[in-house]
Amino acid sequence: MSEGSNSVLIPGRTGRADGRAGLLVRECQGLALASLVARRGRVREAAEAARAAFGVALPLVARAAGNERVTFVWAGPGQWLVETSDARGDIEAFLAPALGSLAAICDQSDSRVVIELAGTAVRDVLAKGVPIDLHPRAFGVGDVALTAAHHVGLHLRQVSEEPRYRISVVRSYFGSFRHWLESSAAEFGCEVLAPLGAG
Amino acid sequence: MSGGASTQPRRLASGGAIDRSQPLEFRFDGRTYTGYAGDTLASALVANGVRLLGRSFKYHRPRGLLCAGPEEPNALVELRDGARREPNTRATVVELFGGLEAASQNRWPSLAFDVLAVNRWLGPVFAAGFYYKTFMWPAAFWERLYEPLIRRAAGLGRIATGPDPDGYEKSYAFCDLLVIGAGPAGLAAALTAGRAGLRVLLIDEDFLPGGRLNAERQLLDGRPAREWAAAAVAELGSLPSVRLMRRTTVVGCYDHGVYGALERVHDHRPAPPPFEPRQRLWRIACRHCVLASGAYERPLLFGDNDLPGVMLAGAVRTYANRFAALAGRRAVVFADNDEGAVTAADLVAAGADVVALVDPRTAPGATGVERIAGVVRRAIGGQGLRGVEILAADGSVRRIACDLLAMSGGWSPALQLTAHHGGRPRWDDRLGTFLPGTLPAGMMVAGAANGDFTTEAALAAGVRAALAAAAALGHAAAPVALPSVSPESVGHRPLWEVAGTRGKCFVDFQHDVAVTDIELAEREGYRAAEHMKRYTTLGMATDQGKTASLNGLAVLAARTGRSIAATGTTTFRPPVVPVAIGALAGTHRGRDFRPLRLTAAHAWAVEQGAIFMETGPWLRAQYFPRPGEPTWLESVTREVNATRQAVGVCDVSTLGKIDLQGPDACEFLERLYVNGWRTLAVGRARYGLMLREDGMVMDDGTVSRLGEHRYLITTTTANAVAVFQHMQWCHQVLWPGLDVQFVSVSDQWAQYSVAGPRARELLRAVVAAEHDLSNEAFPYMAAGTLRLRDDTVARLFRISFSGEHAYEIAVPARAGERVVRMLMAAGAPLGVTPYGLEALGAMRIEKGHVAGNELSGQTTAHDLGFGKMLSTKKDYIGAVLARRAALTDPDRPRLVGLAPVGRGDRFGAGAHLVRRGVEPVAAADEGYVTSAAFSPTLGHWIGLGLLRRGPERHGERVVAFDPLRGRRTELEVRDPVFVDPAGERLRV
Repeated sequence: MSEGSNSVLIPGRTGRADGRAGLLVRECQGLALASLVARRGRVREAAEAARAAFGVALPLVARAAGNERVTFVWAGPGQWLVETSDARGDIEAFLAPALGSLAAICDQSDSRVVIELAGTAVRDVLAKGVPIDLHPRAFGVGDVALTAAHHVGLHLRQVSEEPRYRISVVRSYFGSFRHWLESSAAEFGCEVLAPLGAG
Repeated sequence: MSGGASTQPRRLASGGAIDRSQPLEFRFDGRTYTGYAGDTLASALVANGVRLLGRSFKYHRPRGLLCAGPEEPNALVELRDGARREPNTRATVVELFGGLEAASQNRWPSLAFDVLAVNRWLGPVFAAGFYYKTFMWPAAFWERLYEPLIRRAAGLGRIATGPDPDGYEKSYAFCDLLVIGAGPAGLAAALTAGRAGLRVLLIDEDFLPGGRLNAERQLLDGRPAREWAAAAVAELGSLPSVRLMRRTTVVGCYDHGVYGALERVHDHRPAPPPFEPRQRLWRIACRHCVLASGAYERPLLFGDNDLPGVMLAGAVRTYANRFAALAGRRAVVFADNDEGAVTAADLVAAGADVVALVDPRTAPGATGVERIAGVVRRAIGGQGLRGVEILAADGSVRRIACDLLAMSGGWSPALQLTAHHGGRPRWDDRLGTFLPGTLPAGMMVAGAANGDFTTEAALAAGVRAALAAAAALGHAAAPVALPSVSPESVGHRPLWEVAGTRGKCFVDFQHDVAVTDIELAEREGYRAAEHMKRYTTLGMATDQGKTASLNGLAVLAARTGRSIAATGTTTFRPPVVPVAIGALAGTHRGRDFRPLRLTAAHAWAVEQGAIFMETGPWLRAQYFPRPGEPTWLESVTREVNATRQAVGVCDVSTLGKIDLQGPDACEFLERLYVNGWRTLAVGRARYGLMLREDGMVMDDGTVSRLGEHRYLITTTTANAVAVFQHMQWCHQVLWPGLDVQFVSVSDQWAQYSVAGPRARELLRAVVAAEHDLSNEAFPYMAAGTLRLRDDTVARLFRISFSGEHAYEIAVPARAGERVVRMLMAAGAPLGVTPYGLEALGAMRIEKGHVAGNELSGQTTAHDLGFGKMLSTKKDYIGAVLARRAALTDPDRPRLVGLAPVGRGDRFGAGAHLVRRGVEPVAAADEGYVTSAAFSPTLGHWIGLGLLRRGPERHGERVVAFDPLRGRRTELEVRDPVFVDPAGERLRV
């Protein structure tokens, strides 16, 4: 597999070959990402400005908040990762009119690989490396964690009840992360699906 | 020998939790036997009448089974063979599987005839402390003779030497209530908590949960206890918030409710199935814990109490009741507690001949068994028990023939986990044992582990603990209805030691520590429990003295005239049972030891045939060999020459990149770096140097001003994370008032150095036509954003590490591979050549640039020739301490260039510099070579070094002394810049 190619995951099955794969993986392509860091003392103003411009306030706790245009994912106190497929090639310009005076905006579209994980064994697979409690009583839809697996930093959130998780991984580490993920899922079977948002 | 499986002569016709419809063949010491599914290796050997299972550690005495559980000290075997061979495996916890191969340990040439059994007659030599006394002289013999000899003689099995073919992994678990042990207390706790909806994790090390309920003939609600346990397990399986983990041992209790556990996922199979691990190490975080780990039965101390056939009474009952295996046909029971009668009754029920129940107390007997008030003072036999010598209370001595002695000295709670935070067990006089003392936060103890030695009390304690946990968590919980238990009697008066014994009286069976060893330790002054332990090694074997430690303390207490309470316990440390290193490593082995970072164009470099090297977590191209280049030197020379004569491309994506914004960004830089930033214009880059607070150089790099309040900082590859952390610390702790925001963009941008006299021509071919790249429009140290011909957004920096007319071009990482291919294609007519880290290093040494070797954390700005950069107009990190006398001492080694006087001579980094004609000793040391490379441009080796008063000594000759490589080279000291000292190439 070519680490430098646009598609970092090749669709297909690895690990245990019989039965339904316990882990389903797909890459989320076509997303623009930016880090958003509030200027000193401007967190609440920035949150309100986001609500006014995009209809979504910036979450002030470890949550993600979004609509069909844009999602703000908490990334630390006064910091967010912005995800959108609506940026038309320049996410800094997309965010600047509303937030440029209240926050530092920096394009991170290429710095992370974003994937989604689902399947019946997804929690068991993640438990092999992610040291946080993903039980529905502890972590639900919209919850966000900055965590790690196999010494690789992860920005993780739950996006649906089934459960489905969205994870962004620093791009240069993605090969190692993918290797860990596929090894950990091997006993359940791992199916890489066609990318989301390709084209 | 091989061939027909034996007939399990000691197997009972009915009963037990074994599956007679599933016979399993296995081999022990090369002989084939048959057992059943549900057996352990130990119970299958009992059923086959095998009594001799191993030789002891020190005296090579014959040993058989003492226990039926994890505390077993004697029956250690090598399990499996080849790369899967596992020494020191307790036969009592090995679940039998078809095709199992096991071998006894510590014997040669065979178990029955062991040459080193002669050690038994050398007993006095091997007494406590014998290592320290016997092998003292001559000292030189220790490493070469004594230690190998001892290792061979005293080895406990042989490790596998090939790589482990199986996988191991780690996993995390979380729960409201962790219940450790699935005996009566643990099952009751888990049922209570599980029915209340708590997230319960119930862990048991057995493959059959139930604990003693599986081993006793007790009735619960009129049904066999085992059936009640099975029903409880079935109900737990139906509760959605409960998870039962079998074959799992909790090995440690750590801070904040974190426990470690080892799951033997597939140890009960010849090999793990595909894609599955052999073992899994769990890190469990719980809010509350109920420790229901049960208790260990204590042996009694009498002569030759280690003979095969002398077994703990509870183990005898386990083998008979759970495994339908009779440990002997003609039995004597010796106990100081009421379970002696239970054992006698169970043996009678199993069809054994129980010839005597010996008890020093006046206590009830068992139907049909002769009751003798007295003690067994000696076991008699050679390779196995043939009889016992009984000293009756009336003073008479009797010898009774038997092949089994079931003994019981009462029970000691398995309280290790209660003590991992330093809590000391407390003595309980009524029970005659230590009970858990101060507990780790969140832990409760229930059942035998807390001294509740009856099933009825254990069940009730489990319920109580679970109710308390539920209440603390705010859950409503109801006590489960507990079964009625058939009458139990647990009267006990500890005997501790039989007086007037003959023969060796073992306390620690695994380490061959006898009563006489403890007496010797006491006589020699080792009277504290911890000292006695270390002098005798009692409790220091792989079983950690589970059956031995309290008996040892009791003997020490008696000899020192103190109470056992005052003698105290030794320290309990994790792990509770041995854990394989493979399980601790998990998936972090080989190439997966740590994660690897790959640049965006890694695949392209692979295609180019790059040889890679690790720099921190990164893999970087070291050089790109071409056909006909016998060594790296030819490749590197070609890459340097091509770059200096035409143009080269190097992947520099690994440099740290930090996007800095905010109204106070410039002020932030002023405080971070030694040099000034106020005059840096938008669209320009500048070299910067930062110190640590202690005044030493921390890192260097460039800062480019991208906008009014926006900068891009680069760091060295090695320090990328450290610099970012340093900036965060400075901002969050030192100057929270500064309005700055910064994020890492190291992974956002792939970056390529384009260097050489034809660099501009190459860029011209890939950059969109509207951008003016002329020297006037885009001069040296210019920085700007532009578009490539294919519309890719790029940042261009006219900076140079090689000393050539050079640029670094940054593009979004996903475009990296495409852009490097574009550069190579467009550069083909210009002779473009990819170059790696070696060529990069050679060129920067030619240019006199410092790098990691010089930024060693021990060098100052003055040392490296950056003294003039230190601003006197502002304060910055490190400014004050950089002015310390020792850091401004003119005698300090400072940066110089070095060239061999004999131009063909070679020298290397690490060589020490001394004056000519001086003996190269440490006192004469004047510095060392920090970096060296063959300079293709000059045609000889060159180097950089740190030399005392170096800049004052240009032109002098010194000697590079390199004892590691056996070299002594005469060098000329010179200016560090070998190529283009005026910097003309940079500005064309």
